[in-house]
Amino acid sequence: MLYFAELYGKKVTSADGKTVGRLTDFAFLATDQPLITKLRIDTKVGHILVPISSMKAVNGTVMLSPGYETSGVADNELSVRIHLLDQQIIDLKGNKVVRVNDVVIQDKPYFVIAGVDVGMLGIARWLKLEQWLNRQISHFGTSLRSNFLPWENIQPVELSRGKVQLKREEAKLTKLAPEDLADHLERLSVKNLTKILDLLPSEYEAEVIQNLNVSRQRELLRSIQPKHAASILSLIDPDEAVDILLTLSERRRQVITPLLTQEAKKRIDYLLNLSTTDIGSLATTDFFTADPEETATSVRRRMKRDTTLATPLTYIYVINKKKELVGVCNLHELLLQDSDVPMYKFMIPNVVAVYLTTPPEIAMKKMIKYKIYSLPIINDRRGLLGIVTIDDLVENMQEKLA
Amino acid sequence: MKYWLNNWKRRVLIALAIVGPGIITAVADNDAAGVSTYSMAAATFGYQIFIILIPMTVLLAVTQEIGARIAIVAEKGLADLIRERYGVRIALLMYGLLFLVNLAVVIMNVAGLKSALILFGLNPYIFLPAIIVGLFLFVVLNSYSIVERFFFILIAFYITYIASAFLAKPDWGLAVQSLVIPTGSITPRFLYTAIAVIGTTITAWGQFFINSYVKDKHLTVEQLKYSRAEVYLGAIVTDTLTFFLMVAVAATIFANKLTITDAAGAALAITPFAGQFAGLLFGVGLLFAGLLGCVIVALTTAYAFSEFFGYSGSLDEHFRQSRLFYTTLLVQLVIGTIVALMPNISLFKITLAANFINGAILPIIFFFLYQFANNEAIMGTHVNNKAQNWMLAVSSIIIITSVMVGIVGQMMGW
Repeated sequence: MLYFAELYGKKVTSADGKTVGRLTDFAFLATDQPLITKLRIDTKVGHILVPISSMKAVNGTVMLSPGYETSGVADNELSVRIHLLDQQIIDLKGNKVVRVNDVVIQDKPYFVIAGVDVGMLGIARWLKLEQWLNRQISHFGTSLRSNFLPWENIQPVELSRGKVQLKREEAKLTKLAPEDLADHLERLSVKNLTKILDLLPSEYEAEVIQNLNVSRQRELLRSIQPKHAASILSLIDPDEAVDILLTLSERRRQVITPLLTQEAKKRIDYLLNLSTTDIGSLATTDFFTADPEETATSVRRRMKRDTTLATPLTYIYVINKKKELVGVCNLHELLLQDSDVPMYKFMIPNVVAVYLTTPPEIAMKKMIKYKIYSLPIINDRRGLLGIVTIDDLVENMQEKLA
Repeated sequence: MKYWLNNWKRRVLIALAIVGPGIITAVADNDAAGVSTYSMAAATFGYQIFIILIPMTVLLAVTQEIGARIAIVAEKGLADLIRERYGVRIALLMYGLLFLVNLAVVIMNVAGLKSALILFGLNPYIFLPAIIVGLFLFVVLNSYSIVERFFFILIAFYITYIASAFLAKPDWGLAVQSLVIPTGSITPRFLYTAIAVIGTTITAWGQFFINSYVKDKHLTVEQLKYSRAEVYLGAIVTDTLTFFLMVAVAATIFANKLTITDAAGAALAITPFAGQFAGLLFGVGLLFAGLLGCVIVALTTAYAFSEFFGYSGSLDEHFRQSRLFYTTLLVQLVIGTIVALMPNISLFKITLAANFINGAILPIIFFFLYQFANNEAIMGTHVNNKAQNWMLAVSSIIIITSVMVGIVGQMMGW
């Protein structure tokens, strides 16, 4: 999870280390799946928009890939700063609820707006007082929670009309609790954080650290013993480890890397050199789709009628009128729904997907990480091209190994 | 003829529908702090001070009109726009400043109430908290339209100043003449006093209040014309009241070369010359000025809070719905009461602080007004015209210089 308040004003450099400007805004699509499409950089001579695919890493600075292109604003793109940040949130009846204090961005597997922060911490973050405030509050034996409002609650259509409107009435709005331990720990001071992490088994500790946001990871690895840092890094996913290592200073990195286990070092090196492999050959078009408005009963009936001859299905992919993949739902969830509930109410909008250019290794990792048995393959317009299933991938790996 | 009558009737109805924000905000500028300042100014300089009344009316009218227009066209308050256009950091800073300056003004108004109570021989330790609690409950429990009527009743009590003026048997010819023909020599002390009078009339909270209050009234763009007239009328009514207040003081206290330190003192000093009734009326005027001032200024802070941070906030909503809005209101009133009841409190220092922050925040508010009123994305065809921009610029310069000179003057003890 990234916060716009933490990204705003960050220095943007080109691949060769030259300063391009400062990050000031993101363009996003006002859809159920609010993909971030471009970043806005204020340079000395004005501003430029760069496709998000050129944004390489969010460490101390933001880097652009070599030969990045600039572009204009598309008709369907909105601005985080103009249309979302600081705007008034109203409920279905038009009552004022609260303002958007910060925008929460999910950077994996791709840049997408996860929701908005409507709490005090959102304001504190802009004043760079978030950690200070948390420290003060922790003296009283409690912690401040981010008041996170997930994107699913917001009506994307109203955004372009200048309204941030909720899908329900305020009273019914249930503010999301911190999803997992990492989310909770993020609010503690580094000192308290290390204390708690010390109590955890090391595998679990690594997993938790993996889920912390980048700035917390960096702080943590700065403050703990290099040996401890190396043992944590050896345990977590190598691609995450690479990300974290890059956020540290050169000197700190050189202290830590030699202490990594032989195996971890090899994997990290391997990841850096990973070549792109075509996943298309593994794809199958044997998938089942539904419309966002279609009810659970209708989907169940259609499945019964149309898929008797198909291979066993695990997921239903939700495709909107523009043929974009907007959600996914598994069979169990479908079974649990009442008959007249439309798909968009219970589908998972944050679809984990891969592109044709994604290496099978990465697809595999995603499947394991998110416990998914088949991944949709999409094009850059979020059109569903096919799916790749876990058995096909395993077979492919096996072949490679042989 | 029938058409004309209908048309006329329609206009009256529209006029009645829009009346409120302009007059209430402007008259509330004559709050207890204002009454004190005007009394002292008239007691010291007599009719000479009258020369600033007309320019002051223009300044008030121009700045308030822009605020009201932005609220009608954008359907947003000043604080809404600041937050949306300038982000949370600026919004927080502005809210902090506004909170402080308003708190100081609330304290001054509660202190005005307190001295009015003492004037009538009522124990402030019993009656002041009771009045404040009653006031708060009244605002919480009633809707916008009822609270607005209550404001109008408070305003009606300003008529006591007109009565006081007549009882003082002034030289009306000289009084009116002094409005346009400068008399006497201009000393630094005169300038400072003139400036203090302007500074208590054109305030930071006034700019926020008219904006939020117009928005809460839900006026439409079609009513813009009428709203403008109402704002201008409000400025004229306000300064007419100021005129009578000053006449009452000038014809008695100044004519007999007495000195006073506040409005309650003025009420006492008037009595021997204009009769007990005049003094009583003056005291009643102060009481109601204090009531109006403390509610409206505290309400301004509450409106600004809900706009800056997006919480629900309207006089039409129940306490449960607008909890933070009403809590902000209550906090200001409670602090105001506690401070005003402290035995050794230096009101002079609070006034100084209030003027200082007012001086700091007004230029910024004018900057925002200028930005918003000239932004076509917000105002459409209702952007400022050249004359309005010039007036705003000139007003800003006058008020900023005024307030700055005022602060220096106060510190130097002119």
